[in-house]
Amino acid sequence: MKKIDRKDFLKIGGGAIVGGLSGYVFSGAPFLGMQWLIEWTQDQYVPAGGKEEYLKTICEACREKCEMSIRMIGDRAVKIETSNSGCPFSQNALQLLYHPERIDAPLKRVGRKGTVKFSAFEKVSWDEALGAVSKNMNKLIGEKRGHLIAGISKHDNLASALLDRLVKACGSTAAYYEPSLNSLSQAALGGSVEYDFNNADCILSFGARLLEGWGVPCSMNKAFIEWKKKGTRLIQADAVRTRTASLADQWLPIKPGTELILAMGIANRLSKRGRAAGGAEWMAVVEKYAPDKVAALTGLSVKQIEEVAETFSRARNPVAVAGRGGKGVSSSSAEFLAVHALNTMAGSQAAVLKKGQWLGEPVLSANAAASIKESKKLAGLDDFIKNGNFEIIIINEADPVYKSAYGAELAEKMDRAFVVSITPLLNDTAMYADYMFPSLTFLENDTSAGRAPLKPYLKSAHAGDCLISLAQKVDGVKASFPWASYVDLIKTSGASVGAGGVNYNARVLIDQLALIEKNLKPSDEFPLSMIPVELTFVGDGDGMAFPYALKTIDQKTFSQGKLCVEINRKTAGQHGVSEGERIDIASSWGEIGSVRTHLTDTVAPDTIAIPLGFGHMAYTKYAKNKGVNPKGIMAHDIDPLTGTANWWHTRVKIS
Amino acid sequence: MKMKRRWGMAIDLDLCTGCGDCALACAQENNMPVFEDDSDLPKRVQFLDLMKVSNDRDAAYPDVEVCYIPKMCQQCEGNDPKNPKPPCVSVCPVVATDVGDDGIVSQIWSRCIGCRYCQASCPYEARAFNWWKPRYEGDFKKSLNPDVSVASRGTVVKCQFCSHIWKRERDRAVAGGELDINAVTYTPACVAACPTRAMVFGDLDDPGSELSRLLSREKKRTFRLIHTIDEMKEKDEKKWKAMMQAKNYPNPKVYYLTSKAWIKEMMKFK
Repeated sequence: MKKIDRKDFLKIGGGAIVGGLSGYVFSGAPFLGMQWLIEWTQDQYVPAGGKEEYLKTICEACREKCEMSIRMIGDRAVKIETSNSGCPFSQNALQLLYHPERIDAPLKRVGRKGTVKFSAFEKVSWDEALGAVSKNMNKLIGEKRGHLIAGISKHDNLASALLDRLVKACGSTAAYYEPSLNSLSQAALGGSVEYDFNNADCILSFGARLLEGWGVPCSMNKAFIEWKKKGTRLIQADAVRTRTASLADQWLPIKPGTELILAMGIANRLSKRGRAAGGAEWMAVVEKYAPDKVAALTGLSVKQIEEVAETFSRARNPVAVAGRGGKGVSSSSAEFLAVHALNTMAGSQAAVLKKGQWLGEPVLSANAAASIKESKKLAGLDDFIKNGNFEIIIINEADPVYKSAYGAELAEKMDRAFVVSITPLLNDTAMYADYMFPSLTFLENDTSAGRAPLKPYLKSAHAGDCLISLAQKVDGVKASFPWASYVDLIKTSGASVGAGGVNYNARVLIDQLALIEKNLKPSDEFPLSMIPVELTFVGDGDGMAFPYALKTIDQKTFSQGKLCVEINRKTAGQHGVSEGERIDIASSWGEIGSVRTHLTDTVAPDTIAIPLGFGHMAYTKYAKNKGVNPKGIMAHDIDPLTGTANWWHTRVKIS
Repeated sequence: MKMKRRWGMAIDLDLCTGCGDCALACAQENNMPVFEDDSDLPKRVQFLDLMKVSNDRDAAYPDVEVCYIPKMCQQCEGNDPKNPKPPCVSVCPVVATDVGDDGIVSQIWSRCIGCRYCQASCPYEARAFNWWKPRYEGDFKKSLNPDVSVASRGTVVKCQFCSHIWKRERDRAVAGGELDINAVTYTPACVAACPTRAMVFGDLDDPGSELSRLLSREKKRTFRLIHTIDEMKEKDEKKWKAMMQAKNYPNPKVYYLTSKAWIKEMMKFK
């Protein structure tokens, strides 16, 4: 072997250094390092400046008509300020306006249905999209099969009234609404209840989480200040110690799902004072619910029930409130009726039934008149999903695939139908859309008071304008849509009027009471009750697309991708469950897995409280695949009057 | 130091519904970074943490209650209000955080070197560290406020009582011919957004301010997140004075009001 002399050693050493250096340089590491250094030290994004001004506008999202001021820097809106900001709608408006995943042009499906990716869609012009949709509708109308056209709306507003009118003018009665406080009370009572919370002196809430997103949040917050000032008594019946229950003057910790029975018990006490409502047949049912029976069923004491009835009946202007939940409301029609009967019995001035006067009846073409006879009007959305049939469906801002207990069935039916979705973001329902139309935020809406403060975003249009333009292209429908634009329509629409008398259906009441009593009996297979809870800004899922709303989620509800359900401490012990453990929950309708437990005594014994709003399949990357959506395993029993599933209380087991 | 103002805040927990408006308004006003998953609390960047608390450890169903406590920087002033010394200021090696003559503990993001000493010294975990580069995807950039600089990766950020709004209001007052700019008042974003008026902001040195009037009226319901020491005043004044003089006594300028004993008890340092 040749001896390595000094020269060789230097050569080898030099070669190693040169090789190492060139390898280091060509690997890109120094450039990456430099890039990191620059990012670390220099890369500070500076928001563009501009002229500051404040635009005044009115939020027309609800009847409160809050005044708003939008801080503008140049053409950018940077902050929304309002004297009454208790509304998640206005606080999230800027995040929706500038959302990176907002749909910026009409989209046509080119890929497989049920896919979330934007690559499954291509951008088309408004004319092309409207033309394709109207062509499909015209074909059905021409074949006198207009009754296979359906519509689902989210809010009870003018744009939804336009969709109702369009569907009807095509020869169909299949225009439905997502269950909400308004739509449920309209179906049960024949009108929506306008509460005068400011002037009531005793409020008895049957699971309505009044301060957690229920009704119109901004007016509820205003009312709350008034209650504190005037000493209004708030009595809350709920199976979970929610924030509303904690802020209430009295909490009635009832067993889950027994709100209706409590209402019957209080009605029974009022009837002993000579108060009556609902007719002889109804009162005969009330007579059966004496305090001792109600106490045994609800878990309250006889004394508690009698005291509440006493307080309620002695109040000058008491009001009983139905509609369990916050944003996601689910109560049986019998419960709406029974609670409204309490108001009638107590002579409440603070709950008035009102009915919206929207657009009146459309003119029917010969084909539409023929097909409307074929159309079967079902009681509500879930009834329609289960028993109805459609070939074309138009979704107006709604997300029934996510929110309905029958979401999976709807998705299956949509897979075979022609689906049009009007939405600003690609939600779970829009995953099945053939055409998508981008709609606006309220900041871009023209109102009756004047022009919108901001220009419409890219190629978006108001849902109302979209439906009016579509109607112009559909055969035999044009005559029913004489308006040039949505603003034109706003100017001509009517206000709400008093609704007629309530039909107190004793048969529905008897059936519903029997169902509750059956559900209350402990079963070996499903020993636990499951009820929903909500976070104010997440609501029934609408808030999950907004990153700032995600920052308000507490760790005991959702943390690092894991959803937590709340279980009573003692119950958890009986089932061998510890804090933070992974469990599966099963009901007779299905099973969900991978939820964690949070043991807390804020929940009634033998009860699980599960947060709503999580577990989206789509609805932007901020909402997608976070936690689980419990709707699929929640109770599917369809209410005969509201036609929606009463999903509030479900019998479940854990494993 | 001659203090021009001594800004403080009071939060009435009996009026707080936990709606989270304060947290949202704060995020929008202060250009909070946007991440895909903000559910990882220790890594979440926010100034105002809406804490959900419950007495369910000490009480059983149905005697439990829940409450939300909005917690932000408590704007400590140490034991001498005339010469404020918050625990976080003395540890900063680069004077990125300081306290001004308005009593606000401020922080200059771009001066911060990310040593996180201030975060460690803060008794209230009110400071957040930017573990990642804040990303404002797509058009989110359009809603950024030019009055608040965007923090870069590796810096500590905190609530500054929206002091930029005071600056803005003072500039506006000067443009309007106002000579005494310190007479100008302002409202931070969270307070302006509170729908139930549970949050009150004002000058603690001004006896006529809404805040001072509220605090003098509601002495029984008031507590601070230091009331183990505050309560000592009545029990053992000598010990109280000694504790006051202790190094890094925070002496916060944020007051909470509640009628529930369990909330006060829970928020004690134990």
